[in-house]
Amino acid sequence: MFGIADPQIWIVYILSVACVVFAAWFGIKYWNEEDDADGEISSLPWKNKKKK
Amino acid sequence: MEGFVMYAVVVIYFLTVAFLGYLGYKKTKDSGDFLIGGGKMNPIIMALSYGATFISASAIVGFGGVAATFGMGIQWLCFLNMFIGVVIAFIFFGRKTRQIGAQSKSATFAEFLGNCYQSNKIRLFVAVMIFILMPLYAAAVMRGGVFFMQEIFGISFDLALLVFTIIIASYVIAGGIKGVMYTDALQAVIMFVCMIFLLIWFYKDLGLGFTEANQALTDIADKVPADYAAKGHRGWTAMPEIASSQWYTLVTSLIFGVGIGCLAQPQLVIRFMTVDSTKQLNRGVFVGCLFIFITVGVIYHVGALSNLYFWKTQGTVASQIIMDSGNPIKSDEIIPYFIGNAMPMWFSVIFMLCILSASMSTLSAQFHTMAAAAGYDIYGNCITGKRRERKKRTTIVIRLAVLVSIFLSFVICYYFQGNASQIIALSTSIFMGICASAFLPSYFCALYWKKATKQAAYASMWVGTIVTILGMIFFHYKEANLLGICQKLFNVPVLIQGQFSYVDPIVYAFPLSALTIIVVTMVTKKQEA
Repeated sequence: MFGIADPQIWIVYILSVACVVFAAWFGIKYWNEEDDADGEISSLPWKNKKKK
Repeated sequence: MEGFVMYAVVVIYFLTVAFLGYLGYKKTKDSGDFLIGGGKMNPIIMALSYGATFISASAIVGFGGVAATFGMGIQWLCFLNMFIGVVIAFIFFGRKTRQIGAQSKSATFAEFLGNCYQSNKIRLFVAVMIFILMPLYAAAVMRGGVFFMQEIFGISFDLALLVFTIIIASYVIAGGIKGVMYTDALQAVIMFVCMIFLLIWFYKDLGLGFTEANQALTDIADKVPADYAAKGHRGWTAMPEIASSQWYTLVTSLIFGVGIGCLAQPQLVIRFMTVDSTKQLNRGVFVGCLFIFITVGVIYHVGALSNLYFWKTQGTVASQIIMDSGNPIKSDEIIPYFIGNAMPMWFSVIFMLCILSASMSTLSAQFHTMAAAAGYDIYGNCITGKRRERKKRTTIVIRLAVLVSIFLSFVICYYFQGNASQIIALSTSIFMGICASAFLPSYFCALYWKKATKQAAYASMWVGTIVTILGMIFFHYKEANLLGICQKLFNVPVLIQGQFSYVDPIVYAFPLSALTIIVVTMVTKKQEA
C-alpha cells in the first residue's frame, strides 16, 4: 500500500492520520466542555461507558 | 545580497523574540505569573508552546538523520509523539494535572508531586534531580543551537555561544513563562511553515507523487550498505528484522524511550497548569497533534526519501556520502547536507532559522524549569515572612536561579565543546530515562490511584533512578561503553552480551519502578491499617 510493502510501515501512516482526525473531532466535540462539580467532564465517552 | 537578506531575516527574528520577551515581562507581576502564567494562558499558545518545547533541534536534525539511516520505521516515533505525547498526555494526564494543580496551588512539577503525596521529601527529590541532570541535557540542546549560529553568521564557537546565551537569558529572566510561551508560539509557527514548504518543494524537485516516490525507495532496498544489512536493515520502507540489533535500538531506545519518556517531562507537564479550564486543553489537542504531525512527520518522511534523492543525483545512499573533508557523513549531518544540496539557497537560511527556533524553544523551557526547581522548590522552601513579601522575593530568587541555570549550562557547553558530544548524549539519555522510570509511575498514581502512599512513591523514584543508572553503567552498550566503568571493573564493556545489550534500560527500569509503587503501597497500607 502507498508503494510500501511492509505493513508495519504503512499502518503507521494510517494511524498518524487517524490520530490527527481524532484530535480534530475531540477538539470540536468538547470545544466548550467545562469541568463539572467533581472536577470531571461527565460527557466524555469513557465516563458515559462507566455510568452505563 | 544573499548574505544581507540572511542577516536581515535573522536580525528581524531576534528583534521579534526580544519584543515578545518584553511583552511577557510587562505581564508578569508575581511568582505565579512567572511560573505558570497566572494559569490564564491562551490554549493555542499553550499547545504551540508544548509542541515547540517537545520538538528540539535534535528531533529534527538528529532523528531526521536517523530516518535517512534506518528508514521509515522511525515514523512510529512520530505516531507515539502524537498519540502518547499529545492525545494521552492532554486528555488523560493534562486534564487531571490542571485540576489537581489548580486545587493544590502547585506551580512546578516537583511541587505538584510533593502536594499530591503530601511530602516535602518527594518535592525536593524531584527538584534536585531536575537541577542536577537538566543543565547537562540543556547543554546538549545549546550546543546544537550554537552550531547553527556559527553556520549562519560564520562566527567562532565562543562568540556564538555568548550571543545565543544572552538572547535566551534576556527573555527567560525578564518574561518568565509568559515570555517563554509567546516566543515558543512564534518559533512553532516558523517550524510548521518551514516543514510544509520542505515537503512541497521536495516532491516538486523529485517529480514523483507520494506512492511513486515510496515505490521507488522500496525498489532500491538492495542498495542498503552491507554492514547495515548485517545488523537487520531491510530497506528504508521496511522495519528492521525483528530481534536484530537495529530493531532493538529503533524500538526500545528511539520509539519507546523517547515516545513514553515524554509523558513525565517536567517542562511539558507544567504547561498543563498554564490554562484555566479543561476546555482550553480540549482545544489544544488538535493544534498540538497537527504541529507534531507536520514538523516531525515531514522531516522523518523526507529524511527516509533523501536516499532516493541521493541515489538519483549522486549515485549513493545517505549514509554512504563522503563529505568534502574526506570523512564519511555522520547521521546528524545528513539533513543539513541534504537541505544544502536539494533546496534553494534562501530556503537553507529559513531552515537554519527553523532549527534555531527548535533549539531556542526547548532551551528556554529547560532554563525556566531548572530555575523553578532551584529558586522555587529548593530555595523557595527556606523563605519565610508575609505571603505577599514572600511571593515578591521568590520571583527575584527564581530570576537569579535562571541566571545560575544558564551559567551552569553555558559552562558545561563551553567546557565540553570539543569531544564532549558523547558525554552530553549520555546525560540526555539519563535524563530521559529517569523522567520515564523514576517520575512516570509516581506521576500516574498521583493522578489516578489515590491509595498510593508517599513511601511507595519515594521508593519507586529511587528504584527507577538506580535501575536506570545501573542499566546504563553495566547493561546498555551505548552508555556503558562511553562510561567505561564496567570495562574497568570487569574487563568487559557490558555484563550481558548479545542483543540484550541494545535494549534500553527504560524497558526494565520503568516496570520495576511501577511494580515498586504497587508493592510498597500494599505493604505500607497494611502497616497503617
